[in-house]
Amino acid sequence: MTATETGNPTMPNVYEELLKIAGNSQTFQRLMLTDAKIAQTPKKLIWTLNKAKLFRYEPVAPEDKRRRIPLLMVFAIMNRPHVLDLRPGHSFTEYMLKFGYDLYLLDWGTPGPEDSALKFDDYALEYLPRVTRKIKSVTGSDKFSMLGWCLGALISTLYASLRPNDGLKNLILLTAPLDFSDKTSSGFSRWTSNPAFDPDKIIDAFGNVPGEMVDYGAKALKPVENFIGTYLNLWDNINNPKVVESWHAMNTWVRDVIPMPGGAYRQLINEFYKQNRLMEGKLALRGEPVDLAKLTASVLTVTADVDHITPPCQSAGAVERMGSKDKEIFRVHGGHIGIMAGSGAEKTTWPHIERWLAARDT
Amino acid sequence: MSEKTDTFKPFDPTEMFKSMRDTNMDAWSKMMIQLVNTDAYSEATGTMLDTWLTSSGPFRKAVEKAMTQVLTNLSMPTRADFFSLAERLTNIEMRLDDLEAKLDQSLRPVGKAATKA
Repeated sequence: MTATETGNPTMPNVYEELLKIAGNSQTFQRLMLTDAKIAQTPKKLIWTLNKAKLFRYEPVAPEDKRRRIPLLMVFAIMNRPHVLDLRPGHSFTEYMLKFGYDLYLLDWGTPGPEDSALKFDDYALEYLPRVTRKIKSVTGSDKFSMLGWCLGALISTLYASLRPNDGLKNLILLTAPLDFSDKTSSGFSRWTSNPAFDPDKIIDAFGNVPGEMVDYGAKALKPVENFIGTYLNLWDNINNPKVVESWHAMNTWVRDVIPMPGGAYRQLINEFYKQNRLMEGKLALRGEPVDLAKLTASVLTVTADVDHITPPCQSAGAVERMGSKDKEIFRVHGGHIGIMAGSGAEKTTWPHIERWLAARDT
Repeated sequence: MSEKTDTFKPFDPTEMFKSMRDTNMDAWSKMMIQLVNTDAYSEATGTMLDTWLTSSGPFRKAVEKAMTQVLTNLSMPTRADFFSLAERLTNIEMRLDDLEAKLDQSLRPVGKAATKA
Protein backbone atom coordinates (compact mmCIF):
# COMPACT_ATOMS: atom_id res chain seq x y z
CA MET A 1 0.00 0.00 0.00
CA THR A 2 1.42 3.41 -0.96
CA ALA A 3 1.45 6.54 1.10
CA THR A 4 -1.13 8.10 -1.19
CA GLU A 5 -3.54 5.21 -0.76
CA THR A 6 -3.37 5.46 3.01
CA GLY A 7 -3.98 9.20 2.81
CA ASN A 8 -0.57 10.11 4.25
CA PRO A 9 0.95 13.11 2.53
CA THR A 10 4.08 12.61 0.49
CA MET A 11 6.00 15.52 -1.03
CA PRO A 12 4.41 15.36 -4.53
CA ASN A 13 1.06 14.84 -2.87
CA VAL A 14 1.51 17.97 -0.74
CA TYR A 15 2.39 20.01 -3.81
CA GLU A 16 -0.68 18.74 -5.63
CA GLU A 17 -2.87 19.49 -2.63
CA LEU A 18 -1.54 23.04 -2.39
CA LEU A 19 -2.12 23.61 -6.10
CA LYS A 20 -5.64 22.29 -5.75
CA ILE A 21 -6.35 24.53 -2.78
CA ALA A 22 -5.00 27.54 -4.68
CA GLY A 23 -7.26 26.70 -7.64
CA ASN A 24 -10.27 26.20 -5.39
CA SER A 25 -9.57 29.49 -3.63
CA GLN A 26 -9.51 31.31 -6.95
CA THR A 27 -12.81 29.71 -7.96
CA PHE A 28 -14.28 30.60 -4.56
CA GLN A 29 -13.21 34.21 -4.90
CA ARG A 30 -14.59 34.44 -8.43
CA LEU A 31 -17.94 33.03 -7.34
CA MET A 32 -18.13 35.46 -4.44
CA LEU A 33 -17.30 38.55 -6.45
CA THR A 34 -18.81 38.00 -9.87
CA ASP A 35 -22.39 37.87 -11.10
CA ALA A 36 -23.91 34.80 -12.71
CA LYS A 37 -26.19 35.29 -15.68
CA ILE A 38 -29.64 35.25 -14.15
CA ALA A 39 -33.08 36.31 -15.45
CA GLN A 40 -32.24 35.22 -18.99
CA THR A 41 -35.74 34.41 -20.30
CA PRO A 42 -36.56 36.81 -23.16
CA LYS A 43 -39.09 39.48 -22.26
CA LYS A 44 -40.36 42.77 -23.57
CA LEU A 45 -40.88 46.01 -21.64
CA ILE A 46 -44.51 47.10 -22.13
CA TRP A 47 -45.17 49.68 -19.41
CA THR A 48 -43.32 51.92 -16.97
CA LEU A 49 -44.24 54.27 -14.15
CA ASN A 50 -41.59 56.01 -12.08
CA LYS A 51 -39.11 53.14 -11.36
CA ALA A 52 -41.64 50.33 -11.91
CA LYS A 53 -41.52 48.29 -15.09
CA LEU A 54 -43.92 45.74 -16.51
CA PHE A 55 -42.47 43.01 -18.71
CA ARG A 56 -44.22 40.50 -20.94
CA TYR A 57 -42.38 37.22 -21.51
CA GLU A 58 -42.16 35.92 -25.03
CA PRO A 59 -44.42 32.89 -25.37
CA VAL A 60 -42.82 29.55 -26.23
CA ALA A 61 -45.84 27.24 -26.38
CA PRO A 62 -47.64 26.74 -29.68
CA GLU A 63 -50.68 28.98 -30.22
CA ASP A 64 -53.23 26.19 -29.66
CA LYS A 65 -51.69 25.19 -26.33
CA ARG A 66 -51.63 28.63 -24.72
CA ARG A 67 -53.65 29.42 -21.61
CA ARG A 68 -56.44 31.97 -21.82
CA ILE A 69 -55.91 33.96 -18.62
CA PRO A 70 -52.72 36.02 -18.32
CA LEU A 71 -50.63 35.66 -15.15
CA LEU A 72 -48.99 38.62 -13.44
CA MET A 73 -46.08 37.99 -11.06
CA VAL A 74 -45.52 40.51 -8.26
CA PHE A 75 -42.40 40.18 -6.15
CA ALA A 76 -41.38 41.92 -2.91
CA ILE A 77 -40.27 45.55 -2.88
CA MET A 78 -36.90 45.06 -1.17
CA ASN A 79 -35.39 42.46 -3.51
CA ARG A 80 -35.05 42.08 -7.24
CA PRO A 81 -37.64 39.77 -8.86
CA HIS A 82 -34.98 37.78 -10.74
CA VAL A 83 -35.40 34.84 -8.36
CA LEU A 84 -38.53 33.96 -10.32
CA ASP A 85 -36.33 33.41 -13.36
CA LEU A 86 -33.12 32.34 -11.66
CA ARG A 87 -31.19 30.51 -14.36
CA PRO A 88 -31.90 28.65 -17.60
CA GLY A 89 -33.01 25.14 -16.74
CA HIS A 90 -34.14 26.12 -13.27
CA SER A 91 -36.61 28.95 -13.65
CA PHE A 92 -40.25 29.21 -12.58
CA THR A 93 -40.83 31.62 -15.45
CA GLU A 94 -39.43 29.19 -17.99
CA TYR A 95 -41.53 26.39 -16.47
CA MET A 96 -44.80 28.32 -16.72
CA LEU A 97 -44.06 29.51 -20.25
CA LYS A 98 -43.65 25.90 -21.35
CA PHE A 99 -47.18 25.25 -20.11
CA GLY A 100 -48.48 28.06 -22.29
CA TYR A 101 -49.03 30.84 -19.76
CA ASP A 102 -49.07 34.44 -20.94
CA LEU A 103 -46.66 35.69 -18.31
CA TYR A 104 -46.08 39.21 -16.99
CA LEU A 105 -43.56 40.42 -14.44
CA LEU A 106 -43.86 43.59 -12.40
CA ASP A 107 -40.42 44.84 -11.38
CA TRP A 108 -40.82 47.59 -8.77
CA GLY A 109 -37.34 48.91 -9.61
CA THR A 110 -34.81 50.52 -7.30
CA PRO A 111 -36.30 53.40 -5.30
CA GLY A 112 -34.28 56.59 -5.12
CA PRO A 113 -34.27 59.08 -2.22
CA GLU A 114 -37.15 60.86 -3.95
CA ASP A 115 -39.32 57.74 -3.49
CA SER A 116 -38.99 57.61 0.28
CA ALA A 117 -42.65 58.55 0.76
CA LEU A 118 -43.98 55.58 -1.25
CA LYS A 119 -46.39 53.46 0.81
CA PHE A 120 -48.44 50.33 0.38
CA ASP A 121 -51.31 52.67 -0.50
CA ASP A 122 -49.41 53.67 -3.64
CA TYR A 123 -48.44 50.13 -4.61
CA ALA A 124 -51.92 48.68 -4.13
CA LEU A 125 -54.02 51.57 -5.38
CA GLU A 126 -51.86 53.44 -7.87
CA TYR A 127 -49.40 51.01 -9.43
CA LEU A 128 -51.25 47.68 -9.48
CA PRO A 129 -54.52 49.00 -10.94
CA ARG A 130 -52.52 50.61 -13.75
CA VAL A 131 -50.53 47.45 -14.33
CA THR A 132 -53.62 45.26 -14.53
CA ARG A 133 -55.30 47.81 -16.80
CA LYS A 134 -52.32 47.58 -19.13
CA ILE A 135 -52.38 43.77 -19.11
CA LYS A 136 -56.10 43.75 -19.91
CA SER A 137 -55.51 46.23 -22.70
CA VAL A 138 -52.62 44.22 -24.21
CA THR A 139 -54.33 40.84 -23.99
CA GLY A 140 -57.93 41.88 -24.59
CA SER A 141 -58.84 39.63 -21.66
CA ASP A 142 -61.08 40.93 -18.88
CA LYS A 143 -59.68 38.39 -16.43
CA PHE A 144 -56.21 37.84 -15.08
CA SER A 145 -54.39 35.82 -12.43
CA MET A 146 -51.85 37.20 -10.00
CA LEU A 147 -48.98 35.59 -8.14
CA GLY A 148 -47.50 37.54 -5.24
CA TRP A 149 -44.50 36.50 -3.20
CA CYS A 150 -43.58 37.78 0.27
CA LEU A 151 -44.39 41.52 0.44
CA GLY A 152 -45.57 41.15 -3.17
CA ALA A 153 -48.22 38.80 -1.77
CA LEU A 154 -49.19 41.37 0.85
CA ILE A 155 -49.57 44.07 -1.84
CA SER A 156 -51.54 41.65 -4.05
CA THR A 157 -53.87 40.81 -1.14
CA LEU A 158 -54.47 44.49 -0.41
CA TYR A 159 -55.23 45.15 -4.06
CA ALA A 160 -57.48 42.09 -4.36
CA SER A 161 -59.46 43.16 -1.28
CA LEU A 162 -59.83 46.76 -2.40
CA ARG A 163 -60.50 46.17 -6.10
CA PRO A 164 -62.40 42.86 -6.25
CA ASN A 165 -64.16 43.83 -9.48
CA ASP A 166 -61.04 44.60 -11.51
CA GLY A 167 -61.04 41.14 -13.10
CA LEU A 168 -58.74 39.23 -10.77
CA LYS A 169 -59.79 35.59 -11.09
CA ASN A 170 -57.02 33.64 -9.40
CA LEU A 171 -54.68 34.79 -6.65
CA ILE A 172 -51.59 32.83 -5.64
CA LEU A 173 -49.94 33.96 -2.42
CA LEU A 174 -46.45 32.67 -1.67
CA THR A 175 -45.25 33.04 1.92
CA ALA A 176 -47.58 36.00 2.46
CA PRO A 177 -47.00 38.02 5.66
CA LEU A 178 -50.58 38.99 6.57
CA ASP A 179 -51.32 38.00 10.16
CA PHE A 180 -49.02 39.32 12.89
CA SER A 181 -51.08 38.34 15.91
CA ASP A 182 -48.40 35.98 17.23
CA LYS A 183 -45.53 38.23 18.29
CA THR A 184 -43.31 35.25 19.06
CA SER A 185 -43.74 33.44 15.74
CA SER A 186 -40.59 34.86 14.12
CA GLY A 187 -37.50 36.88 14.89
CA PHE A 188 -38.87 39.84 12.91
CA SER A 189 -42.06 39.84 14.98
CA ARG A 190 -40.09 39.79 18.21
CA TRP A 191 -37.61 42.48 17.14
CA THR A 192 -40.20 44.87 15.78
CA SER A 193 -42.61 44.46 18.70
CA ASN A 194 -39.94 45.64 21.10
CA PRO A 195 -40.70 49.25 22.16
CA ALA A 196 -37.02 50.18 21.64
CA PHE A 197 -37.35 49.45 17.93
CA ASP A 198 -38.54 52.70 16.36
CA PRO A 199 -38.93 52.66 12.55
CA ASP A 200 -39.54 56.42 12.49
CA LYS A 201 -36.01 57.08 13.69
CA ILE A 202 -34.59 54.77 11.01
CA ILE A 203 -36.56 56.59 8.32
CA ASP A 204 -35.59 60.01 9.67
CA ALA A 205 -31.95 58.95 9.44
CA PHE A 206 -31.92 57.19 6.06
CA GLY A 207 -35.04 58.19 4.10
CA ASN A 208 -35.16 54.77 2.49
CA VAL A 209 -34.04 51.75 4.50
CA PRO A 210 -30.67 50.70 3.03
CA GLY A 211 -30.76 47.35 1.25
CA GLU A 212 -27.82 46.16 3.32
CA MET A 213 -29.79 46.76 6.50
CA VAL A 214 -32.79 44.75 5.29
CA ASP A 215 -30.44 42.04 4.05
CA TYR A 216 -28.62 41.90 7.37
CA GLY A 217 -31.92 41.63 9.24
CA ALA A 218 -33.05 38.67 7.12
CA LYS A 219 -29.70 36.93 7.42
CA ALA A 220 -29.45 37.51 11.17
CA LEU A 221 -32.54 35.37 11.68
CA LYS A 222 -30.41 32.33 10.85
CA PRO A 223 -26.91 33.66 11.45
CA VAL A 224 -24.88 30.45 11.29
CA GLU A 225 -26.43 29.23 8.02
CA ASN A 226 -26.34 32.62 6.30
CA PHE A 227 -23.01 34.01 7.43
CA ILE A 228 -20.98 30.80 7.61
CA GLY A 229 -22.82 27.68 6.46
CA THR A 230 -23.49 28.83 2.92
CA TYR A 231 -19.80 29.54 2.27
CA LEU A 232 -18.65 26.28 3.85
CA ASN A 233 -21.15 24.45 1.69
CA LEU A 234 -19.69 26.12 -1.39
CA TRP A 235 -16.14 25.23 -0.35
CA ASP A 236 -17.11 21.60 0.28
CA ASN A 237 -18.68 21.34 -3.18
CA ILE A 238 -16.38 23.61 -5.14
CA ASN A 239 -15.58 20.87 -7.65
CA ASN A 240 -19.21 19.97 -8.25
CA PRO A 241 -20.32 22.10 -11.23
CA LYS A 242 -24.02 21.55 -10.56
CA VAL A 243 -23.83 22.84 -6.99
CA VAL A 244 -21.46 25.67 -7.95
CA GLU A 245 -23.73 26.91 -10.75
CA SER A 246 -26.76 26.87 -8.50
CA TRP A 247 -24.89 28.60 -5.63
CA HIS A 248 -23.50 31.28 -7.94
CA ALA A 249 -26.93 32.12 -9.36
CA MET A 250 -28.50 32.33 -5.90
CA ASN A 251 -25.63 34.39 -4.51
CA THR A 252 -25.92 36.81 -7.44
CA TRP A 253 -29.56 37.36 -6.57
CA VAL A 254 -28.90 37.62 -2.82
CA ARG A 255 -26.10 40.18 -3.29
CA ASP A 256 -28.29 42.43 -5.42
CA VAL A 257 -29.90 44.29 -2.53
CA ILE A 258 -32.07 47.36 -3.01
CA PRO A 259 -33.37 49.92 -0.53
CA MET A 260 -36.91 49.79 0.76
CA PRO A 261 -38.96 52.98 0.52
CA GLY A 262 -39.15 54.60 3.95
CA GLY A 263 -42.92 55.14 3.87
CA ALA A 264 -43.60 51.48 3.12
CA TYR A 265 -41.14 50.34 5.81
CA ARG A 266 -42.72 52.56 8.45
CA GLN A 267 -46.16 51.25 7.48
CA LEU A 268 -45.00 47.64 7.49
CA ILE A 269 -43.55 47.86 10.97
CA ASN A 270 -46.14 50.09 12.63
CA GLU A 271 -49.40 49.12 10.94
CA PHE A 272 -48.70 45.46 10.18
CA TYR A 273 -46.05 44.05 12.55
CA LYS A 274 -46.83 46.14 15.64
CA GLN A 275 -50.58 46.81 15.30
CA ASN A 276 -51.71 43.92 13.04
CA ARG A 277 -54.26 46.28 11.47
CA LEU A 278 -55.14 44.08 8.49
CA MET A 279 -56.35 41.23 10.69
CA GLU A 280 -57.91 43.60 13.24
CA GLY A 281 -59.97 45.14 10.43
CA LYS A 282 -58.49 48.56 11.14
CA LEU A 283 -56.36 49.04 8.04
CA ALA A 284 -57.28 51.77 5.57
CA LEU A 285 -55.38 52.69 2.41
CA ARG A 286 -56.02 56.20 1.12
CA GLY A 287 -59.02 56.29 3.41
CA GLU A 288 -60.52 53.04 2.05
CA PRO A 289 -60.94 50.32 4.68
CA VAL A 290 -59.33 47.02 3.69
CA ASP A 291 -61.72 44.14 4.24
CA LEU A 292 -60.41 40.66 3.48
CA ALA A 293 -64.00 39.42 3.22
CA LYS A 294 -64.31 41.43 0.00
CA LEU A 295 -61.60 39.36 -1.68
CA THR A 296 -63.53 37.07 -4.01
CA ALA A 297 -60.88 35.62 -6.34
CA SER A 298 -59.90 31.95 -6.02
CA VAL A 299 -56.95 31.77 -3.62
CA LEU A 300 -54.01 29.42 -3.37
CA THR A 301 -51.78 30.15 -0.37
CA VAL A 302 -48.39 28.47 -0.33
CA THR A 303 -46.62 28.29 3.02
CA ALA A 304 -43.11 27.05 3.82
CA ASP A 305 -42.96 24.98 6.98
CA VAL A 306 -39.45 26.10 7.97
CA ASP A 307 -39.83 29.71 6.88
CA HIS A 308 -37.99 31.90 9.40
CA ILE A 309 -39.04 35.14 7.67
CA THR A 310 -42.78 34.49 7.18
CA PRO A 311 -43.81 31.54 9.35
CA PRO A 312 -46.90 29.64 8.08
CA CYS A 313 -49.14 31.11 10.81
CA GLN A 314 -48.69 34.58 9.26
CA SER A 315 -50.42 33.37 6.08
CA ALA A 316 -52.86 30.69 7.21
CA GLY A 317 -54.93 32.80 9.62
CA ALA A 318 -55.69 35.41 6.98
CA VAL A 319 -57.01 32.87 4.48
CA GLU A 320 -59.92 32.06 6.80
CA ARG A 321 -61.00 35.71 6.69
CA MET A 322 -60.96 35.97 2.90
CA GLY A 323 -64.34 36.08 1.21
CA SER A 324 -63.37 33.68 -1.57
CA LYS A 325 -65.35 30.45 -1.88
CA ASP A 326 -62.44 28.65 -3.54
CA LYS A 327 -59.46 28.59 -1.15
CA GLU A 328 -56.56 26.24 -0.63
CA ILE A 329 -53.51 26.20 1.59
CA PHE A 330 -50.57 24.26 0.18
CA ARG A 331 -47.87 23.47 2.70
CA VAL A 332 -44.39 22.86 1.33
CA HIS A 333 -41.36 21.60 3.19
CA GLY A 334 -38.75 24.31 2.76
CA GLY A 335 -37.69 27.84 3.56
CA HIS A 336 -38.87 31.28 2.45
CA ILE A 337 -36.99 31.26 -0.84
CA GLY A 338 -36.26 27.53 -1.16
CA ILE A 339 -39.89 26.58 -1.85
CA MET A 340 -39.72 28.42 -5.20
CA ALA A 341 -36.02 28.57 -6.02
CA GLY A 342 -34.66 25.44 -4.33
CA SER A 343 -33.74 22.28 -6.17
CA GLY A 344 -37.00 20.58 -5.12
CA ALA A 345 -39.31 23.38 -6.31
CA GLU A 346 -39.60 21.91 -9.79
CA LYS A 347 -41.13 18.75 -8.34
CA THR A 348 -43.36 20.23 -5.64
CA THR A 349 -44.34 23.89 -5.71
CA TRP A 350 -44.22 24.66 -9.44
CA PRO A 351 -46.35 21.70 -10.61
CA HIS A 352 -48.91 22.37 -7.89
CA ILE A 353 -49.24 26.03 -8.89
CA GLU A 354 -49.47 25.09 -12.57
CA ARG A 355 -52.15 22.45 -11.99
CA TRP A 356 -54.13 24.74 -9.69
CA LEU A 357 -54.08 27.52 -12.29
CA ALA A 358 -54.81 25.19 -15.21
CA ALA A 359 -57.96 23.98 -13.45
CA ARG A 360 -59.10 27.60 -13.19
CA ASP A 361 -58.16 28.81 -16.67
CA THR A 362 -61.74 29.43 -17.77
CA MET B 1 -27.31 20.44 -1.96
CA SER B 2 -24.31 19.66 0.15
CA GLU B 3 -22.25 16.67 -0.91
CA LYS B 4 -19.57 15.77 1.58
CA THR B 5 -16.43 13.86 0.76
CA ASP B 6 -14.69 11.44 3.11
CA THR B 7 -11.17 11.97 1.77
CA PHE B 8 -8.97 13.60 4.36
CA LYS B 9 -7.06 16.60 2.99
CA PRO B 10 -4.39 17.54 5.54
CA PHE B 11 -3.37 20.80 3.88
CA ASP B 12 -6.82 22.20 3.33
CA PRO B 13 -7.11 24.94 6.00
CA THR B 14 -10.80 24.21 6.50
CA GLU B 15 -10.13 20.48 6.88
CA MET B 16 -8.78 20.93 10.38
CA PHE B 17 -12.10 22.25 11.53
CA LYS B 18 -14.27 20.01 9.40
CA SER B 19 -14.93 17.16 11.77
CA MET B 20 -15.49 19.57 14.64
CA ARG B 21 -17.71 21.67 12.41
CA ASP B 22 -19.83 18.75 11.18
CA THR B 23 -20.41 17.63 14.72
CA ASN B 24 -21.27 20.98 16.18
CA MET B 25 -22.76 23.01 13.33
CA ASP B 26 -26.38 21.97 13.84
CA ALA B 27 -26.24 22.54 17.57
CA TRP B 28 -24.51 25.87 17.08
CA SER B 29 -27.05 26.94 14.48
CA LYS B 30 -30.01 26.01 16.69
CA MET B 31 -28.46 27.83 19.61
CA MET B 32 -27.95 31.00 17.55
CA ILE B 33 -31.50 30.87 16.17
CA GLN B 34 -32.81 30.56 19.72
CA LEU B 35 -30.59 33.42 20.81
CA VAL B 36 -31.79 35.86 18.14
CA ASN B 37 -35.36 34.90 19.01
CA THR B 38 -35.12 35.96 22.64
CA ASP B 39 -36.58 39.11 24.12
CA ALA B 40 -33.17 39.95 25.55
CA TYR B 41 -31.64 39.99 22.05
CA SER B 42 -34.52 42.13 20.72
CA GLU B 43 -34.08 44.53 23.61
CA ALA B 44 -30.31 44.73 23.17
CA THR B 45 -30.34 45.32 19.39
CA GLY B 46 -33.28 47.71 19.63
CA THR B 47 -31.55 49.74 22.31
CA MET B 48 -28.23 49.80 20.43
CA LEU B 49 -29.91 50.96 17.22
CA ASP B 50 -31.95 53.55 19.09
CA THR B 51 -28.89 54.91 20.89
CA TRP B 52 -26.95 55.26 17.66
CA LEU B 53 -29.82 56.90 15.77
CA THR B 54 -30.56 59.29 18.64
CA SER B 55 -26.93 60.32 19.11
CA SER B 56 -26.19 60.74 15.40
CA GLY B 57 -29.47 62.60 14.70
CA PRO B 58 -28.45 66.14 15.73
CA PHE B 59 -25.17 65.91 13.79
CA ARG B 60 -26.96 64.63 10.68
CA LYS B 61 -29.57 67.40 10.88
CA ALA B 62 -26.88 70.06 11.30
CA VAL B 63 -25.07 68.80 8.17
CA GLU B 64 -28.32 68.76 6.20
CA LYS B 65 -29.19 72.27 7.31
CA ALA B 66 -25.74 73.60 6.44
CA MET B 67 -25.80 71.91 3.03
CA THR B 68 -29.23 73.34 2.22
CA GLN B 69 -28.00 76.79 3.25
CA VAL B 70 -24.90 76.53 1.06
CA LEU B 71 -26.85 75.32 -1.98
CA THR B 72 -29.48 78.03 -1.54
CA ASN B 73 -26.80 80.74 -1.29
CA LEU B 74 -25.18 79.38 -4.46
CA SER B 75 -28.58 79.36 -6.23
CA MET B 76 -28.27 75.59 -6.66
CA PRO B 77 -31.18 73.16 -6.38
CA THR B 78 -31.47 71.42 -3.03
CA ARG B 79 -32.49 67.85 -2.24
CA ALA B 80 -36.05 69.03 -1.61
CA ASP B 81 -36.13 70.69 -5.05
CA PHE B 82 -35.14 67.45 -6.73
CA PHE B 83 -37.77 65.52 -4.77
CA SER B 84 -40.44 67.98 -5.80
CA LEU B 85 -39.36 67.75 -9.45
CA ALA B 86 -39.39 63.94 -9.32
CA GLU B 87 -42.90 63.99 -7.88
CA ARG B 88 -44.08 66.25 -10.69
CA LEU B 89 -42.54 63.98 -13.29
CA THR B 90 -44.30 60.95 -11.81
CA ASN B 91 -47.59 62.85 -11.88
CA ILE B 92 -47.03 63.66 -15.55
CA GLU B 93 -46.26 59.99 -16.21
CA MET B 94 -49.52 59.01 -14.55
CA ARG B 95 -51.48 61.44 -16.71
CA LEU B 96 -49.78 60.08 -19.83
CA ASP B 97 -50.59 56.56 -18.68
CA ASP B 98 -54.25 57.51 -18.29
CA LEU B 99 -54.27 59.12 -21.74
CA GLU B 100 -52.68 56.02 -23.27
CA ALA B 101 -55.27 53.80 -21.61
CA LYS B 102 -58.11 55.96 -22.94
CA LEU B 103 -56.58 55.90 -26.41
CA ASP B 104 -56.23 52.12 -26.29
CA GLN B 105 -59.85 51.82 -25.24
CA SER B 106 -61.13 54.06 -28.01
CA LEU B 107 -59.00 52.35 -30.66
CA ARG B 108 -60.03 48.82 -29.68
CA PRO B 109 -63.35 48.82 -31.66
CA VAL B 110 -61.48 50.15 -34.70
CA GLY B 111 -58.93 47.36 -34.43
CA LYS B 112 -61.66 44.71 -34.10
CA ALA B 113 -63.51 46.08 -37.15
CA ALA B 114 -60.28 46.06 -39.18
CA THR B 115 -59.62 42.44 -38.17
CA LYS B 116 -63.14 41.38 -39.27
CA ALA B 117 -62.81 43.19 -42.62
